[in-house]
Amino acid sequence: MVTFATAAPIALAAFLASAVEVVEAFTIVLAVSIVRGVRPALIGTSAALALLVVAVALFGPLLAMVPIHGLQFVVGALLLVFGLGWLRKAVLRAGGALALHDETAAFEEETSSLRGAARSSAADWLAGVAAFKAVLLEGTEVVFIVLAVGARPGLLLPAAAGAAAACALVLAAGVALRAPLARVPENTLKFVVGSLLTGFGVFWCCESLGAAFPGGDWAILVLVPFFLFLAFALSRLVRSRVSAVAA
Amino acid sequence: MTVLRDFLATLYKMFAADLVMSLIALATVGICAAARGLVGAAALPYLLTAGVVVALTIAVLRGSRR
Repeated sequence: MVTFATAAPIALAAFLASAVEVVEAFTIVLAVSIVRGVRPALIGTSAALALLVVAVALFGPLLAMVPIHGLQFVVGALLLVFGLGWLRKAVLRAGGALALHDETAAFEEETSSLRGAARSSAADWLAGVAAFKAVLLEGTEVVFIVLAVGARPGLLLPAAAGAAAACALVLAAGVALRAPLARVPENTLKFVVGSLLTGFGVFWCCESLGAAFPGGDWAILVLVPFFLFLAFALSRLVRSRVSAVAA
Repeated sequence: MTVLRDFLATLYKMFAADLVMSLIALATVGICAAARGLVGAAALPYLLTAGVVVALTIAVLRGSRR
């Protein structure tokens, strides 16, 4: 049975992770629609979404055929590695070792690149491909997150609902503003999502190995803050190291 | 072709942006699976969590040196 302690963090993880990815894809699609018009942006976006739907339709039933313990072990390990990647990047960015992701800069870069190609006869095609690529690449991560965190029976619905809510919210905000969503605190979201995914990865790996955390599903509510605290502590360490090198 | 190349690069970034970190994390999972009978199921959550902490710490220290 799915408990609130499991379903709520799953929906939250899918919502926040999808929000980060959709914001990045939206920036490129917006640049395409402003420079080349709505048509290539819509065609590129629709084609990528169709491809993602086909991928989910193909892989979703395949996943359902894998025995639950084996699936949980593989998905737990993948979530762990994926979540650690988000945490590592968030820590290095917060500590000043990596540059923060800047949606405004990404928008300007894409806009000038599209304007540079505007004179060529294939400009609409290139713009459509840019939108297609952005939605496909960011959407791949969204699909992986939803399928992975929703891999346990009964959890796909909260995961999909979280991702759908994020898409709707970002699109509504983006359409209303008609500007890159540069004020979304992307790195803070990366800290939270990385902690959630890493926490779920550890929890599911253990469960698939026949080991249980004390407290059962509620242990997630300890694991996630633990990784969040660890990540913040490491970002302070990185900041001090970066300052020492700069001095 | 560039779409395919960028797609493969995205998959690589998703799971192996820091290959050493990913390998340490996966090795820890493997060690936990292999040592299940040896250390007992009750110790596995702590063993795995410790391995994950080590993987992240090493990755961050390596990343901050670049």
